[in-house]
Amino acid sequence: MAAPTPSQTVGPFFDRQLLWRDGGTILFAGGPGERIRLTGRVFDGNGAPVVDALFETWQVDAAGQLPTGGEGARPYGYGRVATGADGSYAIDTVLPGSFKGPGGETYAPQISITIFARGLLKSVQTRVFLASLDAIKDDPLARALANSDRLSTLIATRDPNDPTTYRWDVRLQGGGETVFIDA
Amino acid sequence: MVETHAADVHPPYLYADYRSTRLRAPVQPLVRIAPSPLETTVPSFPKQFVKESEADLTTWGKSAPLGEKMVLVGRVLDDSGRPVRRSLVELWQANASGKYPHPVDDHDAPHDPNFMGKGQVLTDDEGRYRFVTIKPGAYPWQNHAFAWRPAHIHLSLFGNAYAQRLITQMFFPGDPLCAIDPIFNSVPTAGRKLLVADLDLQHGIEGVALGYRFDIVLRGTRATPMGL
Repeated sequence: MAAPTPSQTVGPFFDRQLLWRDGGTILFAGGPGERIRLTGRVFDGNGAPVVDALFETWQVDAAGQLPTGGEGARPYGYGRVATGADGSYAIDTVLPGSFKGPGGETYAPQISITIFARGLLKSVQTRVFLASLDAIKDDPLARALANSDRLSTLIATRDPNDPTTYRWDVRLQGGGETVFIDA
Repeated sequence: MVETHAADVHPPYLYADYRSTRLRAPVQPLVRIAPSPLETTVPSFPKQFVKESEADLTTWGKSAPLGEKMVLVGRVLDDSGRPVRRSLVELWQANASGKYPHPVDDHDAPHDPNFMGKGQVLTDDEGRYRFVTIKPGAYPWQNHAFAWRPAHIHLSLFGNAYAQRLITQMFFPGDPLCAIDPIFNSVPTAGRKLLVADLDLQHGIEGVALGYRFDIVLRGTRATPMGL
């Protein structure tokens, strides 16, 4: 086995070169689905906003189908945005459906997340759930974390004043540190 | 379970000499879990996503950018040596003066109106890629007194599975700044040479551009679900 090429930080200077036009509006081939916005902020170990993260999202469509193809200059199902001066990100997408794994296991509605940033020598990856704690208990990751109160770090909460908005913050380090995965 | 591991040569999250890691490095161990069906695939990039002209960063402007023209070639392989085909490779870099087209870059060096410093290609059926660009300049940064980043080229890869997603930096052979760069040195000693391109004159352009080779190995996808 050849050793993989080591990861290095994305650095602070990627915006103009790496971001996609409308990269925060996720496209899908199929039907409309329920349009939602996933938004939140990324924080460091002191609770300060991470103002220069590259935030990427990958998800199934509203029917739980894996996206293939794309249009214009963007692939279906994939989002790429940068965090702003307050550490915030936002993607406009559809509520993903649940989907099955190879062993018949059910994956709850979720979005796979990859974050790169200055100070992150390797990306962090995780999954955010767009469903309540009750609704995800059969999900493989939720089961793996069933006895941990850290599972709550992966649940986006629906804004009571705007049900099309899901809020999810990321804490890279320290109290309430978000669960990151090696999948 | 039998598992053959290549030596782990990725940097740790926390590398105190690189100051920005101190408050951004996760402390909790990663949760190992089988990739979801979504995570064994990658987005497909439509034909229009990559234009042929995006392989040549020196033709972006009205005239040629300043600096030393170079060709960068390489292959993208998985850790079993198989080519990673038709996969997106993005490249971005500073200009010849060590300046990025970014508002946060306060290095007192000139922008080059003929250089955007961004390119992208899809690998071919042998996993090969090729860019024409200029050699980026070194630049100072705030990490410690007299800190300078060695000349480097950023590469972003999607591979053929979500778990292969990688961003790395390529350095130039013989650069004395590498030895004092905490970002380069965050990589375990055994891995550092994997970040340094080889001079490859034959892939240059005679009388015009130096050639460099930088092969990239992406982790394999796990055949056997791990852990949980």
